[in-house]
Amino acid sequence: MARHTTVTTFLVAALVSVLGSVLLAQNPPKTAPRGRATAASANAQKIPRAADGKPDLSGIWITGALQLLVGEEEANAIRRADAAAGRQPLPRPEPPPYTPAAEAKRQAYVARRGIDDPMARCFLSGVPRITTRPLPFQIVQMRGQVILLYEAHHAFRIIPTDGRPHPDDIEPSFLGDSVARWEGDTLVVDVIGFNEKTWLAGVGTIHSDKLHVTERYTRDSPDTIRYEVTMDDPEVFTKPWRQAEIFRLRPNERLREYECIENNEDLLRFEKLLQTDPTFQNTPTR
Amino acid sequence: MKPAVILAFGLLGAAGLSAHHSFAAEYDGTKPVTVTGTVAKIDWTNPHIHFYVDVKDDAGVVTQWKFEGYPPNMLVRQGWKRDVTMKPGDSVTVFGWRARTDPNLAASREVTLSDGRKLASGPPAGTGGQ
Repeated sequence: MARHTTVTTFLVAALVSVLGSVLLAQNPPKTAPRGRATAASANAQKIPRAADGKPDLSGIWITGALQLLVGEEEANAIRRADAAAGRQPLPRPEPPPYTPAAEAKRQAYVARRGIDDPMARCFLSGVPRITTRPLPFQIVQMRGQVILLYEAHHAFRIIPTDGRPHPDDIEPSFLGDSVARWEGDTLVVDVIGFNEKTWLAGVGTIHSDKLHVTERYTRDSPDTIRYEVTMDDPEVFTKPWRQAEIFRLRPNERLREYECIENNEDLLRFEKLLQTDPTFQNTPTR
Repeated sequence: MKPAVILAFGLLGAAGLSAHHSFAAEYDGTKPVTVTGTVAKIDWTNPHIHFYVDVKDDAGVVTQWKFEGYPPNMLVRQGWKRDVTMKPGDSVTVFGWRARTDPNLAASREVTLSDGRKLASGPPAGTGGQ
């Protein structure tokens, strides 16, 4: 029971912290500055703002493959609303600008049909992959810090926004170490200190521990955040890999529990496949 | 400042398609299967649910099929309710793709319930190589 008490204490503390900020977020002061009569500045006036006048990013958000998150019908409704609002789809994302050596490794993972995916073994996803899982996440914006709570893996990121630098004793980790600053109305998060145990996006999107991720969060309308991410890694990329996404606010959503390892039968099937399927005898990795 | 631009299918889109793992590692997207039978058991667990369907052939021989599906969190957002939507004893038709390992295992995509409703139960067949 002692162990449970410790966990419970932590959870209660986390809950109190989150509830406090949610209450704050529900009463944002209306201090939006007046802007020119453009669509962008009209949106800038409409978005909720925190006490310090910065955009308030708080809320539950979804992104990625919407049909997996909310079903085909709802996803289609969102797409129709996009079309009605004149929002244009972005082109397909660019492939990762890998060096020939890194691309060869990626192709080997592809040939192995993704069986090596760390996510399939319930490892914590890194940044930005954790964000695009088909599970929602919550942003809790507080004075001096922004907290990201991900339904996937119960993961959280506590991101200082008070100007402090990265600590000098970072242990390599799945989610890395994040610090943030505001550039105008955009929250810019700088993430370093990653281990090499995650994939960035699709199958085989490897990286080294030199990975440096820069995320830019811009609440460009009351219901959306524009998310732009730059992944730089001199050991695997020939230039930074840039991607973008849109986060959509889901006011009626709530985060639920997702304990990945509960009944992960994939592990047993993978073992069987690795021993019996010729694909995996002929395509060594690492 | 440019107006907001929305992605239809963004960033890591192809990557994010699978809820938990690369579909193609375990399942063969070129081998669709549809069975009709009686639900025998449901394991409502992460990172996938599994449900078992007893399928009787023309000679009356019963074969039990096992289907994998979305995790509970994704199912509830697609309209499922635990112990209500699909229960042991219900007659269902399941569409999915066969596993590479076991002859009566498949990844489910859609379940047609006894009242005729169709609900998504798992992700589309992915290649796992994108």
